[in-house]
Amino acid sequence: MIKNREEESKMKKINVKKGIEIFYFFFKIGCFTFGGGWSILAQIEQEFVEKREWITREELMDLTAVGRSLPGIMITNISMLFGYAVNGWLGGICAVIGIACPAIIILSVVTIFYDLLKENAYCYAALKGIGCAVIPIIAKAVMSLGKDALKTKLGWGICIVSLLVLFFFNIGNVVLICVGVIAAIIWWIGEKLW
Amino acid sequence: MVELFIVFIKIGFTSFGGLSMVPLIMEEMQSHQWMSVEDLTNLIAIAEMTPGPLGINCATFAGMKTAGILGSIVAVFGVLTPAFTLTLLAAIFFSKFRESSLMKKILFIVKPICVAMILVTIFGLVRQNYFDGRGLNLISCGIGIFMFYLLVRRKWSIPRVIGLSAFIGILFFEILKS
Repeated sequence: MIKNREEESKMKKINVKKGIEIFYFFFKIGCFTFGGGWSILAQIEQEFVEKREWITREELMDLTAVGRSLPGIMITNISMLFGYAVNGWLGGICAVIGIACPAIIILSVVTIFYDLLKENAYCYAALKGIGCAVIPIIAKAVMSLGKDALKTKLGWGICIVSLLVLFFFNIGNVVLICVGVIAAIIWWIGEKLW
Repeated sequence: MVELFIVFIKIGFTSFGGLSMVPLIMEEMQSHQWMSVEDLTNLIAIAEMTPGPLGINCATFAGMKTAGILGSIVAVFGVLTPAFTLTLLAAIFFSKFRESSLMKKILFIVKPICVAMILVTIFGLVRQNYFDGRGLNLISCGIGIFMFYLLVRRKWSIPRVIGLSAFIGILFFEILKS
């Protein structure tokens, strides 16, 4: 009993320190990671699975699978799940805020410069060039998403129907996603009752 | 401000991963007339070029453009609400959540919808970037096709592609114009 309590108080002490460590690590990741989710995940694995051994690789994989399936930004979802797994709600919040802070700071500065430089002829030309590259970037992303989403005929069907709906009816994206989620819930309930 | 927050909560809860956020931001920004299509194209480029998660970058930029620094913070918190609510719940009930057949079904239906949404966005961006007053702009198309080749076949990273296309843009649209 006493030992238990001792352990408990030890846990509590570690909590805040761990929280700060988590915040610091995710802040660092937020500063230096280009190219989105997967490279961040690789860094988490390197730091917390291999070096500190706070979590096993299997656990991290499980967290990733759940984080990906939730709405919102994949990597902040994974950060939240990871933080919670190693240090409760404090860890989760520290991880999410840690990863969001650098992005807010950097983008705020960039946006200020963007407004100043947009009128400059060279910048305008550069942005025009970049505009041409944005489409291939999105196209590549949608190709890899498509590989996953369009594995079945039903997937293709849903995609084509939503394309038609988006083109020919004045229905918003948010509404369409909500309809999709509701359809999935009905399907799920239907299966449960069967 | 409150409107901005609500808009980004909406975006946060209806986006499922990566670029699926772009069509949603586009729709909201245009319907509120907070940003032009040109700004939105640049938003994607800037968000891809700077470190950090795409969704947060997009939210910061959009918030900043509409209501300054406070706007950017509000937008980011809006977009993070799913992480603070739903994901926290998922973390607490993790073992139950892991094998949820409901989540699988939702994803099965929502992912193809995301593909369709992004395709429509691409269509809009093509009209914006590859056409000018006289019709199809061959230089822009050429850059686009070349960059697609570099990205898909040569596996170039996105910041490299953006850097090169900025350089080509300056070369063709400014220096060679005169």
